[in-house]
Amino acid sequence: MERIVQGTSPAEVIRQLQNSDGYHITNTARDLSQSDFKNRILLHTDLLAADARERAGYFSLEITGGASVHVDILRKQVDPFLKLDILRKKMPTTMFQTLCRGVNLFGYRPYPQNVIRFTVKEFAKYVDVWRTFDFMNYIPNMQAVFEEVGKAGKVNEPCICFSTGPEHTDKYYLGKIQEILDVTGTDIILCIKNHGGLGTPKRIGELVDNIRQKYPDLPIHYHGHNTDGNDIGRIVAAVQNGATVVDAADASFTGFYGPAPILSVVQTLKDLGYNAATIDEEAVIETSEVIRDERQHYQAFESQIKGFQPTVQIHKLPGGAMGSSLEQAVKGGFLDKMPDILHKELPRVQKELGNYWSVTPGSQILWTTAVSNVQGGERYGNASGDLRNLLLGKYGPFPFYEPEDWIFEKVLGSDWKKVLEEEGGVEDISDMDIEKEKEILSDRIGEEPTDQQLVLYLQHPNDAVEFFKFEAKFGKVYVLPPSIFLHEGGFEAGETISFTDHTGKEHRVEVGPSIKDEDGETSVYLNVDHHQRVYTFEPELAEGAVAKPATISKEEIIDLAKAGDMRASFAGNICEISVEEGQTVSAGDKVAVMEAMKMQTPINVEIDGIVTAVSAKVGDALQPGDKILKVDIDE
Amino acid sequence: MKTKILVANRGEIAIRLIRAIQELSYEAVAVYESPDKESRHIRIADEAVWLGNGPRCDYLDIDKIINAAKKSGATAIHPGYGFLAENADFARACEDEGIIFIGPSSEVVASLGNKVIARQIMADADIPMVPGTENLSPGDAGVKEALAFAATYKYPVMLKATSGGGGRGIRLIESDEQMKAEIPVARAEAKAAFNDESVYLEKVVIDPKHVEVQIMADKEGTTVHLGTRDCSIQRRNQKLIEIAPSMIGDKDLLDTICKTAVKAAKAANYFNAGTVEFLIDKDFNYYFMEINTRVQVEHTVTEMITGIDIVRTQIKLAMGKKLAFSQDDIKMRGHAIEMRINAEDPKADFMPEGGKTVSVYRSPGGYGVRLDGFVYQGFTIPEVYDSLLVKMTVHGFSWNETVDRLRRCLQNFVIAGPKTTIPFYLNIAKDPDFIEGDFDTSYLDKHPELFDYEDNANEASKLANLIAEIHHRGHNPYAA
Repeated sequence: MERIVQGTSPAEVIRQLQNSDGYHITNTARDLSQSDFKNRILLHTDLLAADARERAGYFSLEITGGASVHVDILRKQVDPFLKLDILRKKMPTTMFQTLCRGVNLFGYRPYPQNVIRFTVKEFAKYVDVWRTFDFMNYIPNMQAVFEEVGKAGKVNEPCICFSTGPEHTDKYYLGKIQEILDVTGTDIILCIKNHGGLGTPKRIGELVDNIRQKYPDLPIHYHGHNTDGNDIGRIVAAVQNGATVVDAADASFTGFYGPAPILSVVQTLKDLGYNAATIDEEAVIETSEVIRDERQHYQAFESQIKGFQPTVQIHKLPGGAMGSSLEQAVKGGFLDKMPDILHKELPRVQKELGNYWSVTPGSQILWTTAVSNVQGGERYGNASGDLRNLLLGKYGPFPFYEPEDWIFEKVLGSDWKKVLEEEGGVEDISDMDIEKEKEILSDRIGEEPTDQQLVLYLQHPNDAVEFFKFEAKFGKVYVLPPSIFLHEGGFEAGETISFTDHTGKEHRVEVGPSIKDEDGETSVYLNVDHHQRVYTFEPELAEGAVAKPATISKEEIIDLAKAGDMRASFAGNICEISVEEGQTVSAGDKVAVMEAMKMQTPINVEIDGIVTAVSAKVGDALQPGDKILKVDIDE
Repeated sequence: MKTKILVANRGEIAIRLIRAIQELSYEAVAVYESPDKESRHIRIADEAVWLGNGPRCDYLDIDKIINAAKKSGATAIHPGYGFLAENADFARACEDEGIIFIGPSSEVVASLGNKVIARQIMADADIPMVPGTENLSPGDAGVKEALAFAATYKYPVMLKATSGGGGRGIRLIESDEQMKAEIPVARAEAKAAFNDESVYLEKVVIDPKHVEVQIMADKEGTTVHLGTRDCSIQRRNQKLIEIAPSMIGDKDLLDTICKTAVKAAKAANYFNAGTVEFLIDKDFNYYFMEINTRVQVEHTVTEMITGIDIVRTQIKLAMGKKLAFSQDDIKMRGHAIEMRINAEDPKADFMPEGGKTVSVYRSPGGYGVRLDGFVYQGFTIPEVYDSLLVKMTVHGFSWNETVDRLRRCLQNFVIAGPKTTIPFYLNIAKDPDFIEGDFDTSYLDKHPELFDYEDNANEASKLANLIAEIHHRGHNPYAA
């Protein structure tokens, strides 16, 4: 059969899938990056792979969405729109796919309707297939996205999030599919979103079969993770029972928590008599070879814990959250408690909180609750704001049953019934004044923002501004290969570094000496295209302190101060904490003194109240936005 | 024993003077305040005398300078520009001590330093002048005079300190209310700055060109001019870029202005080198502004087009020599542009960058390029003095050639450490109006886009900046 090419109308895409004489594959590059490389795979590597991937004949390349939009600007320093634009030029035929978190879009909290529509409209210029989910399978949370994707003439791929347990019956999922179809009409692909890689092949086979029986014309796209090492089994069962598209990734980068290798899927199914329509096996193999050598540079971002995790069937963490959870355990020094957390507490919390789907942002709520239950002593004693919101029903109604009263009481307080009555229910977030936000952004970056810049800003305000400033200072750094961009340690003196800039010009940088003056300021001498240049760096503030881009704006620091949350407004050291916890203070009182550039600045509170927390101590080196102390209004 | 000349200045002009002194086979005595102890002018002088801890008080201390001259056995003093250069008391102190003051007599310095007396001299000699008042009477009477003047000549008018200069002590007045409010303020300010509270008014010439004429006169009264300079490109009344000769196409007009300058100098009994400044309005009317009784910062452009060493000539004239050339001997050849490369951030309203260390200093060179500077790689710019690092003067046969050379030199000039005016000047060198020779004192106000440059403009150097940071930190902090 012929390839489905980019630019085909949704109805025609669906028709071609319905008439296909084989199954199709989505190359889930983004999910691979997110699950096994903490989202760090650079555009540079995707560009290396682009030519072979374009020839490989995929249904689509999943290359944006999920957490990647945020990580693009926060850690990869690449414009997520520009990334798609550049890839599109290299891959004119292949459809691009995204993963969209419904009302949460590419962030972690619900956005207003007008922001959702604006964002989808801008991204839809580059993205052909929109996989949209809601972690509570609450269909109204996805409706705005469905509508905008439809308006843009792109393909909607709504998800049913999949999990296991007595409540997760085929009957339940068929009901959800009907709810979706009632909203979208029939020109969609249905995604079974198995972000945890849960269930056996048999279970997935049954589900697909039951959906096919009820909706014989509905193309099914199976998305899974290989966390337990058995996703190929589930993929095979899905295809045998009538799934039309399945997810997998390039073998040379596959790890433990992301997608299974494409070639293994193709080979296994071929022997069973299923044809991978339009797939060019040679190009699939070539892709892996082209990028294989790059993998060494991403080593720091691979999971510290190696090996498959068949116990995912117990703890149900999604593949995309495995790496970061393990990293947190290593950094937090509670790796030894992981068996307890993963195999005992997490399943317990899951059950207690209604056995919903462990995926963003719900998976984070389950994880942090389980960790704090184990670490904090008292279970549910230290509830996060997000857990509170979950119980208040802000994200949607509990799908099967509500948590028991004692949990509500722990989290919301003794008058929890009143709180629930007053604050409960899905929040109707009022529209944002986008024009006003545009003005604010314009002020912050000193020029009229483009619509794309505005979209990024509305998603992640501070990180977007930091990124724009980064780009103004450092240029388009996506041209740097991981061997430079993710380089560990200094370069060798005399080492020559070559790269090609975004306009195609080649450059040579020769590393010269670094000279530190008596004030600790370091001058790094580089010979750039045969011109001597010097770059100076202020001394590091303290041992081990890393100059990180500020994550909080001046305006926000001022606003927080007005609410009693005193943050450092500049980088400096604490040289005095003048108050103690429990002390009563009045607006204007000095509570601390900070020192920077040998100048002391008193920190004065802006409200009357009681000091409830002191986060900084004398001698601490603070960055702008770091916490000093908190004052709560005395009631 | 060789004749010694004391250089009562610092920075680039001290070096310029020392060079001329040494070329004449005299010995140069430098003086310095403590913050200048690493300055190059001390190193190239034949000897140096420490004046005190400073800053900016010992260079202005007449007694200390005279003592330094006596102690070192210097028989002449060159004051340069700024500091004591136009201080009549200093010139008189030299005269009293039998030390040769390289400049006009104290009497001339005094009368030309007083703007009102200067205007009177020029009025008597029929030199065209911007309409103005004499010193305003004290108190309410002065305000009445001011309001009457404004009623006759219309606003805006300039309120000037009689003893002011160098762009200081000038304010623009646009209404009667403002006049009433500003006169006492201006008086207080003038009193504090110049120890003379006299103020006067001048009609404002809107967006004039600033054109000045270099003159030289010997003790016998022979006076010549060395042509014109255009100093219109200024910020806050401070010159940034100077050009010789003026780009005004009407050669007869320029010739008339030069002759007027000579006439003005003669009227003032002028001796040694001086500069007669004029304003030229949109209709090419020209008005006398003032005579500067010192060597100017921008004297280099005149030297480049005439081939005459002004400082050398100054010294010889002061030693009693006659002018060695007549007006007919002086030939102007080509064009010269001087740019004051300052350690300043043009984007931050030319905020000085003092205190920073020059970590890289790579200057341009080659045909038609002259540098008068005093900084070197590793030099920390004192915060307490002006921000001029180096004057770059380029010379070319045609205007186009000169601008091309200017652009080339700016592109090749690398100063790292402090921010400088170089990238800003590079925008000027690329500006079509500048290339056309079309500029007046409103130039910077009318070209805000000149401030739109990136400090480290090209993409390669930006990316290299990230490479430098990865190298420095041992990891990429923006990818952590």
